[in-house]
Amino acid sequence: MLSRRQFLATSAAAATLVSTRVSAADIKTLQVYIDGDTNISDWWNNILKPAFEAANPGHTFNVTITRGVADGNRTIAERALAALEAKADPQVDYFEEIEPAAVAGSVEAGLWLETSEANVANLKMINPAAIQTPIRMPYRGSQVLIAYDSAKVANPPKTFAELVAWAKANPGRFTYGRPDKGGSGSNFVIRAIHEGNGKDPAAFTKDNFDAAKAEEMLQNGWAILKDLHPFTFGEGTYPAGNTPALQLLAQGAVDMIPAWSDQALQGIKTGVLPETVKVVQLQDLALCGGFAYSAIPSNATDLEGALALANFMLSPETQTSCVRDIGGFPGISWDNLPADLKAEYIDVIPVSIPTFPSGDWQTAKNDGWYKNVATNIVRD
Amino acid sequence: MPDLGTTSGGVAPRHIQRTGLGLQALAGLALVALPVGLLGTLILWPTVRMVTATFLIDGNLSSDRYFAFFNDTYTMANLRYTLEMGLVSALAALALSFGIALYLRFSAGRIATLIHGLSLFPLFVPSIIISYALVRFLGPNGLFQLLLEQVGFTHYRTPYLTPVGPFLAFVWENIPLPVLVLSAGLSQVSDHAVEAARDLGAKAPRILFEILLPQMRRSLLIAFALIFMGIIGAFTVPYMLGPPAPEMMSVFMQRTLGNLHDPEAAQVQAVVLMVISSIVGGFYIATMVKSSEVVR
Repeated sequence: MLSRRQFLATSAAAATLVSTRVSAADIKTLQVYIDGDTNISDWWNNILKPAFEAANPGHTFNVTITRGVADGNRTIAERALAALEAKADPQVDYFEEIEPAAVAGSVEAGLWLETSEANVANLKMINPAAIQTPIRMPYRGSQVLIAYDSAKVANPPKTFAELVAWAKANPGRFTYGRPDKGGSGSNFVIRAIHEGNGKDPAAFTKDNFDAAKAEEMLQNGWAILKDLHPFTFGEGTYPAGNTPALQLLAQGAVDMIPAWSDQALQGIKTGVLPETVKVVQLQDLALCGGFAYSAIPSNATDLEGALALANFMLSPETQTSCVRDIGGFPGISWDNLPADLKAEYIDVIPVSIPTFPSGDWQTAKNDGWYKNVATNIVRD
Repeated sequence: MPDLGTTSGGVAPRHIQRTGLGLQALAGLALVALPVGLLGTLILWPTVRMVTATFLIDGNLSSDRYFAFFNDTYTMANLRYTLEMGLVSALAALALSFGIALYLRFSAGRIATLIHGLSLFPLFVPSIIISYALVRFLGPNGLFQLLLEQVGFTHYRTPYLTPVGPFLAFVWENIPLPVLVLSAGLSQVSDHAVEAARDLGAKAPRILFEILLPQMRRSLLIAFALIFMGIIGAFTVPYMLGPPAPEMMSVFMQRTLGNLHDPEAAQVQAVVLMVISSIVGGFYIATMVKSSEVVR
């Protein structure tokens, strides 16, 4: 017979053992890094996390937000690369969004885990509009649209020329964000550059950057934007980001802005933007957009969990949530999603998604905009 | 230093006093060793390394990067704007807080306590909150504009995204510190001097310019140096409230590093700003040293 005291002591010890085993060994926590806007990190924390935990018992993830800190996820990828060389723990299992090619030396060093249908089954459903490579997985998309207040704008512009004409006829009622502070302004500036160069996105590729030629091509865009400059809100006081631009629209300070499809749709749905706000895409050439690509570092401590997370992200359920909850485009093709969902979003489903190369072109575009458009410098 | 011993009283025999002082000095050095060591390893050493790096191009000594800095009109416009913003905002904040400090010096009672509390309030508000609050309050269709429209004024133009935006935020943000410094300075001006001047028929302006201001020069310089250095290095306020161009140096530096991926240029910008700050900081230290000599 055990005495009461002995019994208590053994059961307490057993309980301690059990509880430590459950917390330390049975629940594996993945480290996920996000540098997107609040809508994305909120979606991961509030909606995806419980769903992932329910679908994968014993697994969870912890979101670290790197938005606006140093170079965001790139800095974390550089740290992971250093850890790879030092054979240390990279402290990251999953990049919500990363451009592997932009992290110097990472591809050559083998930092990125190769994914395919073999280890992430749902990759077989991938959206054909997205470009998949073995080391990055497209999982959500968005595109810049023109958001306008339908109570003030009866006939929204259908072409870039109509948009400029509207802005000039309604001084101070249109604005766009600074190109380096957010994609909505950036892609509007790119659309102006496209407009000035024969509406041909193919004229800009990753490998055709040449400083002298770029200066000439960009000048065609600056001419259009300088012409528009005095007619924008506050005669050229461009807001510093996606959200500040949406704020101006929400406060009724402007009637039309370029905005990310996901942010505008979500804003209208949640009441952050007035319900009279509508979105439209330009018909002559759409504004740019693209997919967010996730990647897994090959030295992640929990590769199995990271692959499970990748598969979860590309499941029809998560992808439906991507459309419904954050107004994003799915990373898998629409055929794998409920039919009524497609019908509901038919207006904003992109026919084509023009892109603009990253790297030198982006740098030249952003710096050129500050020096040519924002400064009010008249060059003769 | 040598006459410090005499101040501690002449009762104790000399040799005991000397040992005591030696220990005291050692203890003092030990106390400052940690902060000085931290300062050296975490601030001075990286600074020296960074400054050296800006003069090295592929291992060769060169000042090309500085030539590029001072020959770029856009960069110079940003630098000029930063200094002007620092000067104008610091002077405005100083003038306002001098007024408040004067009022507090010569008034007592509930209203004075209330004003004292209010003037220190911004000390506890982070600049990101000030920035958001000003966007909502002074922004287009914000509360201020709505209030003005209620009384029939409809020509309001928001300072948001213009240089006036960060100016207002800087003034707001930089009232508490000079109020504290100037109040301390004013408390050293003796009531007798002011009363004597009054008895001789001096009016308020004369008291201000001939009694108060001459005695306040040091406090004013210290307060100015502190807030000027804070403003030219500020990031959040000009980022959120300021115009796209010209940019204040901190915003420009962040963009150069983060968006243009040009760390060398960003370092040069940092060094230039640091040199300017050090000059103002030098004034501050010189003033401090002088005033402590006077007290001694």
